[in-house]
Amino acid sequence: MHDIRVLVVDDEPDIRATVAEMLQIEGYSVEEAANGADALVAIEQRQPDLILLDMRMPVLDGWGFAAEMSRRDMVIPIVVMTAARDAARWAAEIAATASLSKPFGFEDLIRTVREVRGAA
Amino acid sequence: MTALELLFWVNRVLFVALFIAVGWRAFRQPTRANLNTALLFGGIGTVVLIGLVTDVTGFTAPWLTGLLVALLNVCPWAMLRLVDDFHGTPRWVQVAGMMTFIALAALGLLLFNEAPLLVELATIVWFLVVGGYAAVAFARTGRRSRGLTRGRMVAVAAGVYLFIAAIVVVFFAAFMPELGPVSGPLAQLLALAAVVAFFLGFAPPTWLRRAWREPDLRSFLERSVHLSGVEDDRALLLELQRAAADTLGVPGTALGLASADGTTMRYVQADGSFLEVPADTFVGGRAFIAQKQLIVTDAAASDPEHAEVYTNAHALVVIAVPVTAEQRRLGVLTVYGDRAPIFVEDDLWLVQLLADQTAVILEARRMAREASELRGREDATTLKEEFLSAAAHDLRTPLTVLLGQAELLERRLQKDPTAPVDPAGIARIVRESRRLRDLVSQLLDAQRLESVGPSADQQPIDVHTVIRSCLERYASAERPIEPAMGSEPILVRMDPVRLEQVVDNLLENAAKYARGGAATELRVWREEAEARITVADHGIGIPAEERTMVFERFFRASNAQARSDTGLGLGLYICRRLLEGHGGRIWIEETAGGGSTFHVALPAEPTSGEVYDAPAEPTGMAPTAEAGSDA
Repeated sequence: MHDIRVLVVDDEPDIRATVAEMLQIEGYSVEEAANGADALVAIEQRQPDLILLDMRMPVLDGWGFAAEMSRRDMVIPIVVMTAARDAARWAAEIAATASLSKPFGFEDLIRTVREVRGAA
Repeated sequence: MTALELLFWVNRVLFVALFIAVGWRAFRQPTRANLNTALLFGGIGTVVLIGLVTDVTGFTAPWLTGLLVALLNVCPWAMLRLVDDFHGTPRWVQVAGMMTFIALAALGLLLFNEAPLLVELATIVWFLVVGGYAAVAFARTGRRSRGLTRGRMVAVAAGVYLFIAAIVVVFFAAFMPELGPVSGPLAQLLALAAVVAFFLGFAPPTWLRRAWREPDLRSFLERSVHLSGVEDDRALLLELQRAAADTLGVPGTALGLASADGTTMRYVQADGSFLEVPADTFVGGRAFIAQKQLIVTDAAASDPEHAEVYTNAHALVVIAVPVTAEQRRLGVLTVYGDRAPIFVEDDLWLVQLLADQTAVILEARRMAREASELRGREDATTLKEEFLSAAAHDLRTPLTVLLGQAELLERRLQKDPTAPVDPAGIARIVRESRRLRDLVSQLLDAQRLESVGPSADQQPIDVHTVIRSCLERYASAERPIEPAMGSEPILVRMDPVRLEQVVDNLLENAAKYARGGAATELRVWREEAEARITVADHGIGIPAEERTMVFERFFRASNAQARSDTGLGLGLYICRRLLEGHGGRIWIEETAGGGSTFHVALPAEPTSGEVYDAPAEPTGMAPTAEAGSDA
């Protein structure tokens, strides 16, 4: 379980920090990115095992990020996290593995991450 | 049978047919004009019939010729009466006409044997004088009329001219037999043309009626096409009345609109004001209540209570037709003029048609209104749904942080109760709680604005006091504000809490979009009768084409959406609603060097200084000075 790297992509710094802390307590190593473009830079440098992806972001949104990943033939499990009602639909649109509806708690987050890791 | 004989017979048949047609109409609708028309052609028709009988039986007698002449004398008299019906004549003309007719008829019956030439001469003069007078009068009435009436009057005038011409030819033929070969056919041809013209005038075929009506109807329809879009009742009524008056060629029309329950009727008056009366008032009201067409030939006498109204409007004759769509009683169309309609059934038909068309317009308008109200309600529902969905979305983000941070605290506490509290986590909880509070209060504000409008509590307050209170709460090292204020109080009538809310919103907005810690400039001054406030930032600015849209609900500038901050897009909408509710305005200009400047203008109370500065007795000195110079 150690050394599982998770990339948290969200334009809200407080959300990023909160999600990161929750994951770190459970022993994941976490990197953060404020939008899709930053996330692309991050995964180029070091490929994470899992991406937690907000959809509505400035510069490059979740859809743009996912499209760019598939263009580069990168296959990394993605969990969509969004405050919109269409979390599941958006997840399906970008072929993400799972989705998390905001607000989600500690248990939801960790269970989803574990499930995705188990499936991968 | 020769061609001439054939022509002779055709004429006879046509005159008798015409007599039957107008006689039948006079029997069905015994109006004065119809009876006089029957009299005119009754005279001619009887002469023709007697001629027929003598032709067939071979019976002839001088007294019979005298009778024929006497009967023929009816024609000018009937024409004279028709002229009075259509055009109006002085009373003495009618009296003189009747006397002449009686005298000539008696002359024909009693003296024809003794002095046929005298009788014939008198008759011909009688025909020429009255016929000429009538033809001119009919032609003039025709020129003044429109559409169908005009066509019919012109035909009647032509018929009279031709008829007289035929009589004159016959008369000369009687004195100059050598003209026989020419005068015979000529007289018959003229008589044929006359009877055809009379047919067109007094009993026009349906296709001709349609053709004569068509241009006016078309112009009414063309004018009325746009009327269902007219918002204002007053403008609609006036335009419909004008269009109906033009189409009918009458001096006056009045369109009454019934109230929804049908108990009152509303008319628009000449000065543009509405006159609301009980539904059964006026001739129109009677037609409306009875739901049938009404023709009144002496309005003042028939409705003595409103005699003055009719007299003032020169309304002697009134036609009133209910405006009704299916079962819906919408109102009544009243047409009035200073004389009876020439061809009552045609005019009634046309007024009814205009009333029906008016009903169509009113119904179309009502339906359009209902549809737009329905659309408005749907819009409001959609907006509310969008609002709730946007609100739910925006509330979830701070909630995620709150829930996550609280669970982290709990978890850490469970692991190690003595561990120090994480200050960054606490800061996040506080920050996001505040954000949540702001969102909730914005939501409540927006809801309140929709439901009750701006607060009614409008005590005069000094703008400076409000601004200072905002600055105390707002200005900080992270959010520097450069205020520029005068010292004279600027009083406005607005709830201070509301004004604070506006200024807070603008300062919040400026801070949100500020770049690199540049100070927000806040200016307060008085400009004429307005209190003015500007909040200028040096932030990202707002694209020019979006500077009015940002004051709409849920609108966020395109470049704001790309930033990480969140908001419901309600702040500026609330500002606008608050200010407009207090007679104020808000707009955006570009800050010199980039950024946005929000301008606020609110009606200011006159300052006490203005009252004090006014000259105490501005006119008191002048007379004294003048008196001095005179002395």
